[in-house]
Amino acid sequence: MSLARLKRIRVVVSVLILLVSGFLFVDWGNIAPPGLRSLLVSLQLGPAVTKLFTAVNLWLISLAIVLLVTILFGRVYCSSLCPLGTIQDIIIRQSRRSRPRKWFRYRQAPYVLHYAVLTATLLTAAAGSMILVNVLEPFSIAGRILGGLARPALMTLNNVGASILALLDVYALSAIPSPPSALLHLILPAVFLTGLVLLARARGRLFCNSLCPVGALLGLVSRASVFRIVINESTCRDCGLCEKVCKAECIDSKAKTIDFQACVSCFNCLDACPTVGLKYEGFHVRRAARALPAPDGGRRKFLRAASLPLAGLLTGGGLRDVSDTVRQVRGPVGTPGPVTPPGSSGQAHFSSACTACHLCVSVCPTQVLQPSLLEYGWGGIFQPRMDYTVSYCNYECVLCGEVCPSGAILKLGVEEKKLTQIGKARFIKDDCIVITKKKDCAACAEHCPTKAVRMVPHENLRLPEVNNDICVGCGACEHACPVEPRRAILVEPNLLHLKAKEPPSEKMELEPTNEAFPF
Amino acid sequence: MNRRTFFRNLGMTAVAGSTFGMSRLERVLAGGLPRAIEVPYDLVALRGGEPDVMFDQGIAALGGIGAFVKKGHKVVVKPNIGWDVPPERGGNTNPALIKRIIEHCYQAGATKVYVFDHTCDAWQKCYANSGIESIARDAGATVVPANSEGYYQKVSIPGGLSLTEAKEHELVLSSDVFINVPVLKNHGGAQLTMAMKNLMGNVWDRRTWHRNDLHQCIADFATYRKPTLNVLDASLVMKRNGPRGVSVDDVVPMKSQLLSTDMVALDVAGSKLFGMNPDDIRYIGIAVSQGVGRPDLENLNIKRIVL
Repeated sequence: MSLARLKRIRVVVSVLILLVSGFLFVDWGNIAPPGLRSLLVSLQLGPAVTKLFTAVNLWLISLAIVLLVTILFGRVYCSSLCPLGTIQDIIIRQSRRSRPRKWFRYRQAPYVLHYAVLTATLLTAAAGSMILVNVLEPFSIAGRILGGLARPALMTLNNVGASILALLDVYALSAIPSPPSALLHLILPAVFLTGLVLLARARGRLFCNSLCPVGALLGLVSRASVFRIVINESTCRDCGLCEKVCKAECIDSKAKTIDFQACVSCFNCLDACPTVGLKYEGFHVRRAARALPAPDGGRRKFLRAASLPLAGLLTGGGLRDVSDTVRQVRGPVGTPGPVTPPGSSGQAHFSSACTACHLCVSVCPTQVLQPSLLEYGWGGIFQPRMDYTVSYCNYECVLCGEVCPSGAILKLGVEEKKLTQIGKARFIKDDCIVITKKKDCAACAEHCPTKAVRMVPHENLRLPEVNNDICVGCGACEHACPVEPRRAILVEPNLLHLKAKEPPSEKMELEPTNEAFPF
Repeated sequence: MNRRTFFRNLGMTAVAGSTFGMSRLERVLAGGLPRAIEVPYDLVALRGGEPDVMFDQGIAALGGIGAFVKKGHKVVVKPNIGWDVPPERGGNTNPALIKRIIEHCYQAGATKVYVFDHTCDAWQKCYANSGIESIARDAGATVVPANSEGYYQKVSIPGGLSLTEAKEHELVLSSDVFINVPVLKNHGGAQLTMAMKNLMGNVWDRRTWHRNDLHQCIADFATYRKPTLNVLDASLVMKRNGPRGVSVDDVVPMKSQLLSTDMVALDVAGSKLFGMNPDDIRYIGIAVSQGVGRPDLENLNIKRIVL
């Protein structure tokens, strides 16, 4: 096989991955097969590394595959499997089309910055703060762009289409109600996308070689890659085309060297080379060639650079335990903070393991899961929360735990979920319609799936009463309550999720009747 | 086609579509509300059969569906699909009954039958888990979403005291026949849900009802439009923990069904069937005082059928 074909394969794979990601993040009807979802997300390194610390899982296998490919062929991940990489490639492609004479040129990658970012990301994550992961992890950024911009755009298109079709008496499309608080969460992904456009137009894949923690990690691994792209000095014609098309700016065509650590394996150079001036070369060939020159200390430098994040990784577990305790003791003072989804065990676990990819936000059938900004503090920036003004948690649904790629929301069985208490309803009697207007209402009790909220006689009306033993904190009561602006029944989060008691039940019997009809 | 012509075409389609929609609405406004249909019985009560079989016999007693549905009619069948629960929980109208009603409508020559409900739980889940979406589709009905405000149009309720306007689903406004198919069950706020309460699934903003005296609002909305026919499903009856229910333990098999063009008569009979005194259900009394229908079953012509 000609090496030039590698680029075409890379383009096909990466576009496929981006399309699948886009589909998963837009899919408001939840029609994606679960297998497709787990296949895609398990290949995403950022969440997978996070999951190493949260749950033992089979995705370790995919993680091993990604690392193995990298150690064999370099950062194939960055151009084929990373949806954010492909989004940047599309930006670069458009930019190249509008400015055909703007070529890339070799520039030394900012390794100091890049390793500092990686080290800081690992250390902060180990200490329980996900701020750098949430801001920089590429799959999560891609998720927020696809779910936060592409999804509402397509929803709007769908809704316009649905209303036009409805006027023509066709109901093939269903209008999707969009949540009211969406504006900020349109602006945020737009800011990220704008930044990415500016960076990619100016310097290609600079993000991947300066700010991306996954890129830094794979760059370290790729230093040990067995096969790597090198310039074939005997056939190279010095045309410099390979350097001009290199998005990673890692080919120095004059010196005939390639900084393989910065190479994102896009294979543009293999495709552009008019001869066979570039080739993949195995490490035994290189070792033979390198036998003579003295070591340049590269390995030592590498070890030094690598040791910091490794130290972070090693001490990670211990640090996290401490921070968990600190978080639980301190709690969110004054405000109880957001309710976290069932399966997340509580704010501490959730907030220290969520990479804010918002896949759960996309699959949530009731849209009760909404992005946050700083509701969890800086360490939990962008992480999703239960927003009972928008909707409430469907009693039988466990989708968020099934899709979460980082282990922030662990998978629960339906029966287990129905007994998982994520918060408790608190009834504010003085604000209730029954007290203020002296009229029956019962919207809260109607919606309660366990009858933790039930109506009890009060004067000649019926007033809600809450039994927190069987309340699961789903927020149905809060969502249904008609009192404005603050509802008369509110769910307060359990900082650590608890187990609710099973709702008591006794089989109803049909009263015996002598006549068929009592009228 | 360039971008500009695409948008121009889109705009023209929208304009064409909206005028078409308006003409349908104008037809309804010009023709006024459908007149009451003369039927041989004020109420048909059945007991002891499967829901679809009871409907066959009940509708035959009323002169067949042809008395209500004419050739070329558009029909809305409005079950209760409020909750994400399976049929055995009695939280939604029985799907076999809905299927049979749709079949009768098509046999009578209906051009189109629509099925919808403004659900409480997530609508896709309610439509699917109730069993109604798939069975209604198989029977040839158009299952319509009712989860977006865009499907609703503002109507005024001249007979209303608390509720003087509401947003009603556009298909109820534009259809020739409206068949109301509630399920009988216990209800936290309304005490019992039957024909009048089921109309709450035709409107967009239900919080307003809860905020402004639920019972008064139920009666107010019942003055707005009388359904062509009401069929009360009392096959599996939720006796407590309504309207959603907690488990199958809440449900008893009553194997009954009531048919009437009069919502008040139906709700009074339904209360008695359930084992409640209709006088204890406030919205029934209010509806009587507002002239919605007749509560005096002893003076009505009732057909009783035991299978």
